[in-house]
Amino acid sequence: MSEIIALKSPRSGTRLRIGFLRLTDSAPVIVAQEFGYFAEEGIDADLVEEPSWANIADKLAYGFLDAAVIVPPLAFAIELGLRGISQKLVIPCNISLGGNTITLSSALARQVREISAKQAIATPHALAACLKAGDRPLSLGIVHAYSTHNLLLRYWLATAGLEAGRDVRLSVVPPARAVEALQSGQIGGFCAGAPWGEIAARTGAGINVASSDDVWRAAPEKAFALRAHWAEENPAALKGAVRALVRAAQFCDAPENASYTGALLSRQKYLGVDSHAILSSLPGGAIAPDNQSRFWRGATTFPWRSHAVWFLRQMARWDLIGDVDTEALAARVYRCDLYRASVAGLGINVPRADSKSEGAHRTDWELDAAPGPIAMGPDEFCDGAVFEPVSVQVNF
Amino acid sequence: MSLTVLLIDSEENRARALEEKLSESGFARVVRAEGPDLAAAVERAKPDLVIIDMALPDRDALEDIRAVSAASPVVMFAGTDDPAFAQEAIAAGVCSYNLSGVALQDVRPIMASAIALFKRYHHVETELAAAKALLNERRLIERAKAILMKDRKMTEPEAYRWLQKKAMNESRKLAQVVADFVADDESQQRERKP
Repeated sequence: MSEIIALKSPRSGTRLRIGFLRLTDSAPVIVAQEFGYFAEEGIDADLVEEPSWANIADKLAYGFLDAAVIVPPLAFAIELGLRGISQKLVIPCNISLGGNTITLSSALARQVREISAKQAIATPHALAACLKAGDRPLSLGIVHAYSTHNLLLRYWLATAGLEAGRDVRLSVVPPARAVEALQSGQIGGFCAGAPWGEIAARTGAGINVASSDDVWRAAPEKAFALRAHWAEENPAALKGAVRALVRAAQFCDAPENASYTGALLSRQKYLGVDSHAILSSLPGGAIAPDNQSRFWRGATTFPWRSHAVWFLRQMARWDLIGDVDTEALAARVYRCDLYRASVAGLGINVPRADSKSEGAHRTDWELDAAPGPIAMGPDEFCDGAVFEPVSVQVNF
Repeated sequence: MSLTVLLIDSEENRARALEEKLSESGFARVVRAEGPDLAAAVERAKPDLVIIDMALPDRDALEDIRAVSAASPVVMFAGTDDPAFAQEAIAAGVCSYNLSGVALQDVRPIMASAIALFKRYHHVETELAAAKALLNERRLIERAKAILMKDRKMTEPEAYRWLQKKAMNESRKLAQVVADFVADDESQQRERKP
């Protein structure tokens, strides 16, 4: 209702149409809108809830949206024109780390946990043992072919020698349909963003056996992408939007704000689901969280070039993209320069380098940043790999 | 030439109207399907074209290139050569996937029919939504007044003035203020009884 009325209100500022999905990590854009952070930066933001990633992609490609909270592999697919016409995009800031669950049907999850405990092996290996013992082909749901979920799930399965297509069938199931698909047996599990794993767990249809953290402890999740054309035409508004999101990220990351954010997101016009299901993956929202999004701490909002390169290499690994100049594409889309220009003067610590080595830290560490260092958490991959994308360059 | 169209639309009347239109004009044979397992529906029907309501979450399932079509990649018809036509389709809320590489001139009249129908329904829906919004606004004002009268012991005129003043102070529409007020109250209620 309020959306219809909002359309009639007089407009001032630069109009920015932002698409988002009903996911917990849409929180920063919702907070930035509701608290007037966008308005204070002279931006007249329209938040547009979309039911599918395909809609986000098409509406960006054809100019119905100026920006979106997006899974980075899809941003690259749009940029490369892999699923329709191409549209140049820029990512001046990241939105979240972590927040996905790997959820299995309750029966399968119990079996996997039992084997994992009995044989003292990791969850993916227990799943592999389960599949060898039984003869039913396992089908797992992902949210889109060009999603972080597809890449993380494949990575996780591969550590136990399971390959999508050969050992496990991956099919796309919209998260809002995942519970139904679990109950009907169409899928034996799925990988999706919060709150959908929690919702499946609350209905008793599924159990979360792993989260993003169990695949990669600092896995980049959503990013803020804009049409490059819009960004070029509205340089001041672009910077304002980044500042508004950085501010909102700090709010969303503060544990004391969790119940407020959860209640805000649970509104019908945003996620429209039980606020407790949302709360469980917000920072500070659960006592012993089995899945948690991060919005600010550990330089989350910085658009790391190394994240871009990791996504592109993984897309190439699974044959989702052809021959592309990975480094050039990563640099074109992930715009550390725009982030730095936007937040200059805010007094926040900004990383000096555009890339970092990913997966090298098993414990807390300190990142070189200016004016002061940034406290970082562990960032290991489940297979212990260390990803060194490019030589680490220092900018200032 | 007889094309097979898989139609995925949860709006029953609109779907039936499009089905009739396409069969009468001899453009295509229509098969209807609904989620969640659209990949299986595609396998069964082997359509040349899929037409889907963009309001459904199921579009993403159709995007799984390998699952949907092993032989030829899925091409989103809209926009392969005519961005204006694609934009019209998106604005109307309908989208299509060309699975068998049917010539564009054969697909065009089919999509034109779909766009026209979706536009007409969209118009009706917008009017309906506006009427509903007005009703809802009145309902919410009553609800907000009731909360204020109960929790803060206000009289009805006092409650109404309080809401008006709040709207004025925040320079927002009364409807928005009332909607948020009621939503916050409801979520607080939920917090209290988990």
